[in-house]
Amino acid sequence: MEQHVNHYELLLTHIGTVLHLEYLIPLLIGTIAGVIGGALPGVTITMTVIVVLPFTFGLDPLQGLAAMIGVYVGGSAGGSITASLIGIPGTPSAVATTFDGFPMTKNGEAGRSVWVGVWSAFIGGAIGGLCLIELTGPFASLALEFGPWEFFALFVFALSMVAGLVGRSVTKGLLSGTIGLVVTIVGPDPILGVQRFTMGIHQLEGGFDFLPVLIGIFAFAQLMPDVEQIRSGEQALAGASRQVNLKVSHLSVFWDILCRPFILLWVTFIGIVIGVLPAIGGSAANIMAYDQAKKFSKRPEKFGTGIPEGIVASEASNSANVAGSLMMIMAFGIPGDAVTAVMMGALTIHGIQPGPLFISQQPKIAYGIYAAYLVALPLMVAVIWVGSRAWLRVIMMPKAMLIPIVLVLCVIGAYALSNSMNDVYVLALFCVIGYAMVKSRIPLAPLILGVVLGDQIEANLIQAVSTDADPWLFITRPISGGLLAASLLSVALAVWQHRRETNRVASIAVEEPDTDF
Amino acid sequence: MMLSRDGISGLVCLAISVVLLTQTFGLPPATIVPVGPAFYPRIVLILLMLLSMILIALDFRAMRAARAGGTAAVAPAAGLPPNYRLVLATFIEFGLYIALLPPLGFRIATFLFVLALQITLEWPRSNKHWALAVLVAAATSLVCFLIFQDYLSVLLPRGTWSNM
Repeated sequence: MEQHVNHYELLLTHIGTVLHLEYLIPLLIGTIAGVIGGALPGVTITMTVIVVLPFTFGLDPLQGLAAMIGVYVGGSAGGSITASLIGIPGTPSAVATTFDGFPMTKNGEAGRSVWVGVWSAFIGGAIGGLCLIELTGPFASLALEFGPWEFFALFVFALSMVAGLVGRSVTKGLLSGTIGLVVTIVGPDPILGVQRFTMGIHQLEGGFDFLPVLIGIFAFAQLMPDVEQIRSGEQALAGASRQVNLKVSHLSVFWDILCRPFILLWVTFIGIVIGVLPAIGGSAANIMAYDQAKKFSKRPEKFGTGIPEGIVASEASNSANVAGSLMMIMAFGIPGDAVTAVMMGALTIHGIQPGPLFISQQPKIAYGIYAAYLVALPLMVAVIWVGSRAWLRVIMMPKAMLIPIVLVLCVIGAYALSNSMNDVYVLALFCVIGYAMVKSRIPLAPLILGVVLGDQIEANLIQAVSTDADPWLFITRPISGGLLAASLLSVALAVWQHRRETNRVASIAVEEPDTDF
Repeated sequence: MMLSRDGISGLVCLAISVVLLTQTFGLPPATIVPVGPAFYPRIVLILLMLLSMILIALDFRAMRAARAGGTAAVAPAAGLPPNYRLVLATFIEFGLYIALLPPLGFRIATFLFVLALQITLEWPRSNKHWALAVLVAAATSLVCFLIFQDYLSVLLPRGTWSNM
């Protein structure tokens, strides 16, 4: 009980800290950037957090994290603005919002459509925040029981889940994850420091830094599909410039959301669970939650015609997903998606390693993350409330203007890591690899997780083998064995699902760009 | 039989895995721990090799099935074809930007890159559009320089030719 009081005292203290201008300003700027980036079709939250990343290097760790959490929370709600108003999801995690948000706008209820989404994101995020605060500690305690066998098995499980569930081919998902692992074996080995695969290039002697790889992989992969679609004289989003009336009664919007509490809680739960699982992220959470809301609804036939339940399902789950991802990175040091992978990279720059000891060793940062998350939610609502018309104007920014600026910020982001052009060359190399992977329809998320976890997989494997050379321990230790069995099961399940899906759509297969990174 | 993109990706990965796997035999053996520096890379590279081979095999199978069915393996893309000229131009300009950063310095190289890429992606149709493109390029270069150099202590590249 006393420990619980202490827990909430610490939380309140840190909320007070985050409300100081030195933390509030980065959080506000991050939230604004997130709302705009999330609302811009073609610019994902990952891209926005990458763009914001270099600005955080000169800040203290909590200021930088506050900015990134602002981007994450703002971005997950910002995507719903364009999804509702112009029927184009700002991010993949707002796809399901278009199903009912846009029809509602076409029915002349643009304000209701936007605000049901925003307030659902707020409520879903708040419930997710409670779980984040309450469950991260117990998860971390569980992780403290793990030895190298369990950690090795957990990382393999995380990688197999991502590889199996992202994209359209299990083989390509696994291949992508393995390419990520290959990236990490370049450079010194973790025990003796023997140089491996450097090919005489002295710039490779330190191995590949994670952040230039991540920025490179995502920069061209996310921007080039837009470049491919540019035609001379074309004005992107021209149709969105029409005037829309965003006025609405917020009381009635709250009633729209709260009158079906079971659906709200259920879709929020789905969002949190998918966030915790290191696999698919918000892009799947919103679709799954929408599907569940439809199944549990008394009027499923109305879904897709502009009813609030559809928007609530998509946005509440999407927002709660953020809390789930943060939980995973704080308790286990495993990023649930690319955004938390960037956050993890930013933490390691400051010498902080997320994982089971994170909360006990870095309480200021850990409680600061909780506090920043809770403060970011009302801030997100305020940012959208105050600036909705201004953001609408910003998202009309032509791609021809936006793309060069984003690329310059990517270069700065890589360069600023060590004030060195070497990281920029790594960025350039992985820009080419990322685009080649997109054109080959190989998903990027497993590669990123492979790069993040590769060193730890190797270190834990060697530690386990050095402690006891018996390889059967990986299987006979219950948690380790269970996780490895779950890894095999998840791959087998993914193969079965993909095969079933392939057979179903075989006759109508149409090639299209894979936007699910 | 021609391979599709999947098969080509598989071949590239297979080639990489074979080259790197042969290099592992040149790594020194273990001394103080039971496994040496080659142990883990071999596991990863063998996995890469197996997955590459599966991808190639699946591609062959899909090609054979498509030929047997008398249809193309991959249906043509819907809508307009991708504008690869612009993609290539963007890659070249980005490559030039990175190459010219050390000799020209951040400010000049960034100004030229942002201006050139804007013009490449959308040719300005009036003097007003030209002025806007120049303004955006200048603002990006100067604002980034001021923020990062002065406030965030990032030592952005100074040109060896321009000293800027």
